[in-house]
Amino acid sequence: MAGAADRAPRPLDEDARRARSESDPDPEIASLRRILWGREQHRLMALQARLEDPVTRAEDIGEVLPQVLVQHAHDPNLARALTPPLERAITASVKRNPTPLADALFPVMGPAIRKAVAASLASMLDSLNRTLEHAVSWRSIQWRVEAMRTGRSFGEIVLMKTLLFRVEQVFLIERESGLLLQHVHSGAAGLQDADMISGMLSAIRDFVRDSFRVADTEALESLKVGDLSVWIEAGPRAVLAAVIRGTAPAEYRRRLQIAIETVHLEFASELESFDGDTSAFSLSRPTLETCLQTEYRADARRPRTRWSWVLAAAAILALAVWGGLSYRARAREARYVEALRAEPGLIVVSTGRTGGKFVVSGLRDPRARDPQTLIAGTGLAPEGVEGRWGAYYALDPALVLTRAGDLLKPPAGVALALSQGVLSAAGDAPVEWITEARRLAPFVAGVAVFDPSEAFDAAARSIITRLESQALLFVKGAARLVAGQDRILENIQAEARRLDALAAAAGRRYVLEVVGHTDADGPDEANLPLSLARADVVREALAETGVTHLDLATTGVGSGQPVAESPDETDKQKNRRTAIRVVRPGAR
Amino acid sequence: MIQKKICMLGAFAVGKTSLVSRYVSSLFSEKYLTTVGVKVDKKQLTVDGHDVTLMLWDLYGQDDYQNVKSSQLQGMSGYLLVVDGTRSATLEIARQLQQKASQTVSGVPFILLLNKVDLASEWEIDEPAFFKLVEQGWRVIRTSAKTGEGVDEAFFQLTRAMLAPRPPHEAL
Repeated sequence: MAGAADRAPRPLDEDARRARSESDPDPEIASLRRILWGREQHRLMALQARLEDPVTRAEDIGEVLPQVLVQHAHDPNLARALTPPLERAITASVKRNPTPLADALFPVMGPAIRKAVAASLASMLDSLNRTLEHAVSWRSIQWRVEAMRTGRSFGEIVLMKTLLFRVEQVFLIERESGLLLQHVHSGAAGLQDADMISGMLSAIRDFVRDSFRVADTEALESLKVGDLSVWIEAGPRAVLAAVIRGTAPAEYRRRLQIAIETVHLEFASELESFDGDTSAFSLSRPTLETCLQTEYRADARRPRTRWSWVLAAAAILALAVWGGLSYRARAREARYVEALRAEPGLIVVSTGRTGGKFVVSGLRDPRARDPQTLIAGTGLAPEGVEGRWGAYYALDPALVLTRAGDLLKPPAGVALALSQGVLSAAGDAPVEWITEARRLAPFVAGVAVFDPSEAFDAAARSIITRLESQALLFVKGAARLVAGQDRILENIQAEARRLDALAAAAGRRYVLEVVGHTDADGPDEANLPLSLARADVVREALAETGVTHLDLATTGVGSGQPVAESPDETDKQKNRRTAIRVVRPGAR
Repeated sequence: MIQKKICMLGAFAVGKTSLVSRYVSSLFSEKYLTTVGVKVDKKQLTVDGHDVTLMLWDLYGQDDYQNVKSSQLQGMSGYLLVVDGTRSATLEIARQLQQKASQTVSGVPFILLLNKVDLASEWEIDEPAFFKLVEQGWRVIRTSAKTGEGVDEAFFQLTRAMLAPRPPHEAL
């Protein structure tokens, strides 16, 4: 029988042989057989030959294979069957020569890489946005408060609030024994001993089914505790249990169904002959991992955006107000500094803000205006301004003049003037003051030269006026003063001394000419000498005063220049006189 | 890695829970026994070079074997029958439980644990009864939850029996 078993797939052959062996004893039957079935037999043999010829069979399969592939393109079994040989073929091809595969992939690599980069950038941006949002939003502050209040970590609160659902663990459990075949999880959130959980979960399923007497086909599909739920999807030999935080959509059930179906398909024999060895099921991890899904809450209300706008608007408003106030303060400060700069004797070196005060540092002439008095009108509060001033001498003409006035103390009627560093005094001043002023003036900062000539001129003019306005009267026919004229002579002498002192101080010389006059009585031959004699008398008296810078001269004009012409004795007396004329040689 | 489900069966208060509590990893409290009727513990051991994880289903003590849920027994690779040596009635219950178990899951090894050996002077189960069991082909180990006597031995023997290609109790 063993030999027959070998030929089992070739029944035609055997039939033919049997036919031959049976035909041997009776050739007629054999020929009858040939007549009746000869054509069919021939066809059968041709078919058999065709089936046995590997070349023909390859051709046949080659013809139908593309059609089979097209028709079963969506059959997951076909894809699974083709994957291992394809993978091996690609591996072998790359090992032998990587160039053809690289060339073939080249056109798709670029776009694929670009797409991957774009996707990862987008996800990075998304995570950045999330981070930023969690870092600064109003909501995140609330969450931080909640985290502090409840003693949970901020991350936990964020997860709780933003997570729509997250599948934390997936158990693949052998149905009968409740033994854990495989376990995958996302992160390490509250992981317990999966083996025992798996067993207990099975026990609880049994408990529920037994307790409520449901049909064998029905079973516990989900458990829910707080925001944690366990979804159970059972297959004939294995059960999938997904531990979900949050609320998963109903479609997720479909995902679990696909996964448990895939496991049953891929591990059919392992499940059937399961005897406690779970190692084979490590290959089910990729399938189980497709169930580890996470979905975040879509921010439909976008409170973050609204709050951010309000916050942004408030910030902009605050900025604008602050900017406005700041601008106004700056403008006021600028006005103050401008006023300080315009003020003589004040030099602003620097400005700044210290301790909420506007601080102005600079130099100040002791005679300059108090800077604090300039604050009024700028809008600044005096207590908000601090001045730090160093002393210096300003060369502004006004201040130089004030300083000169303080030092020289000019008498009333004398005005000081400054031009190009030259200080001059105008007005009638005593010669002594002029002399003293000329000595002190160079000590006044800002005064280069003191020019006293105008002062001398003025003083000289007043002396000369007094000298020239006084006449001395003489006795008739003689060169002798009328009684009582001595006092006038003394006056004249005093004025002459004054003029002499002035001339000495100013380095000048004056010519004092005494002019003698007579009345009209008597002949000119007598009057001319008489008038000259009278002038000489006065000249002598002036010379006696010891003047050194006055040149004395005399002139006799007789009766030629009367002051009165009536024959009256009183008038005649007026004409018997001397007068003084002062000339400054070389002066205009 | 090899995992096996084993069950602990026995009458009420024979000391099943205290027998194993010192030798297993527990995640769940004993409250589960009275609520769900079962508590799953874990015991890892190495037998003949094999690392084996035993998932130990401690079933709530039942004096009436009919109350044992067959669903809880399903998928087990072996079981421990626990008897209180000071109460002979518990042996009868053990017999019934064994029958129930073999009806539900046939051909799996089991070991009878004669517990409370530390109270040997008060034993009601006498030597003849004990040898009768052994003659029947039952594997019997004397244990004490108090001293720990025989407990590891019981786990070891049961595991070895479960790993053996042809369980000796298959004939039963």
